[in-house]
Amino acid sequence: MRGNWFLNLGTICIIAISILIFSAFSLIAFNLTSLLKVWEDKIEIIAYLKGKTPPNELDALLKSTRLITGIETVKYISSSDAMAFMETKLGKQKNLLEGIQPDVLPSSLEIQLKKEYRNSAKIKEVISQLQQFPQVDEIQYGREWVETFSGLVHSVRLVQIILGGLLLAAMTFIIANTLQGTISSRREEIEVMHLVGASPAFVQVPFYIEGLIQGFLGAGLAMMSLFFLFKVFFAYMAPSVREWLLRMPISFLPPETIAWFLSGGMVLGIFGSFIASIKILRYSG
Amino acid sequence: MLILRILASGSGWNRMIQMTHVSKTYPNQVCALSDITLEIPAGQFAFIVGPSGSGKTTLLRILFGAERPTSGEAVVNGFTISPQGVGRVHQLRRNMGIVFQDAKLLLDRTVSGNVALTLEVTGQFGREVKRKVVEALTEVGLKGRENDSILSLSAGEQQRVTIARALVHQPPLLLLDEPTGNLDSEMTTDVMAVFSHVHQKGTTVVFATHNTDLVRRYPYREIQILAGREDRSETGGERGPGD
Repeated sequence: MRGNWFLNLGTICIIAISILIFSAFSLIAFNLTSLLKVWEDKIEIIAYLKGKTPPNELDALLKSTRLITGIETVKYISSSDAMAFMETKLGKQKNLLEGIQPDVLPSSLEIQLKKEYRNSAKIKEVISQLQQFPQVDEIQYGREWVETFSGLVHSVRLVQIILGGLLLAAMTFIIANTLQGTISSRREEIEVMHLVGASPAFVQVPFYIEGLIQGFLGAGLAMMSLFFLFKVFFAYMAPSVREWLLRMPISFLPPETIAWFLSGGMVLGIFGSFIASIKILRYSG
Repeated sequence: MLILRILASGSGWNRMIQMTHVSKTYPNQVCALSDITLEIPAGQFAFIVGPSGSGKTTLLRILFGAERPTSGEAVVNGFTISPQGVGRVHQLRRNMGIVFQDAKLLLDRTVSGNVALTLEVTGQFGREVKRKVVEALTEVGLKGRENDSILSLSAGEQQRVTIARALVHQPPLLLLDEPTGNLDSEMTTDVMAVFSHVHQKGTTVVFATHNTDLVRRYPYREIQILAGREDRSETGGERGPGD
């Protein structure tokens, strides 16, 4: 990187800002996806049964339920079990339940799903099969929650892709223009090299390497800035919010994603140099 | 490269330059050259003489692949330059030395750095390059100035560095476009002595100039160009060793 330090620094900063914006969205999407995964892991189906189910019918129901694809475990919760659970939950206030007969509470099946079925699309397949059983009255699985959150994650991912595409186009344009400035500032040197018989590769490769280094430094700067902002975000938020957030699986981008961003920066730098060099590095007098 | 040299010096090929019906019209419809047909044998020293704007520079630019003819073709040291262009311009230029009126030197390099550039672009580095650079600088009378900055040199000395850069790889062809245009008469004589010496060693020299006084002082071939056409009535002069 001989010569114009100001132009080089400008290019690095532009790459850094562009990648910082994109990586910030990636960080949000990454953490929302992690949250979704955690919540999806906790998804279970509760199928409430109608009235009293005779024991022989119950055994058959349990057997049939276990045969449904996607179901991992099925546990029968009787009315008495439900009452006991409520008493445990209420603790010292369990006297509120005095005089209430366990029969008031319906018996139910607590169903755990296999991992690949813990998403809103697959759950629906399982539920439609459960609804076929005449003993089943009502089914609960926190559908709205899962669907709303899943929709949110998809929206963020969509914004990330659209923004990524737009930023990529803008970055290529800006980087190409900035690098064009760098290359133009060395027009005389290029002209002399062409004059003495330098091959196109001899002239172009140093510019590509320069673009690659600028891309790497820009992406590195973006990752460091994002990490710094991530830490500052946690340091300066209200303690109550922080405690709540710390219980969530929130983390910085994983190393492989950081490596992708660094490689992306380098590819972007080379591509920008290539676009910038097409006109200027053309062999002439 | 070796095959090209053999072709250039071997049997049946003693023409360093052959231009056949070459015309050049620029996009703004200015006709710079019109139907030029000429031959310069290997080893000849030829002046391309004509007033400013007569097409001398365009002719030279076609010879080193910076311009394509609009019609016709030129064959330079085995490389064909046609309206479609020239295949590998850098290979063509590695087989020639080019000197312009302005020095075209890199100010952030020393004298030897500028001369060495010609060898570096072909992948040569190290002691051999150093030796060749000293040899070229000795030829132009700048021995001992290897590490000087370009800015510390006079205009004449800068032009000598350019000449050394054009000669360091011992090309079979030297293209000169008004190389003495910025020099006083004493410096011009010195520089002409270098070109004559190079010519005596067998290098083909093509020297474009408008300075007819200079041309008359040397017994070399003259090719007159007037308004983009070759004026055959005044063509003459010596024949080089290749003839």
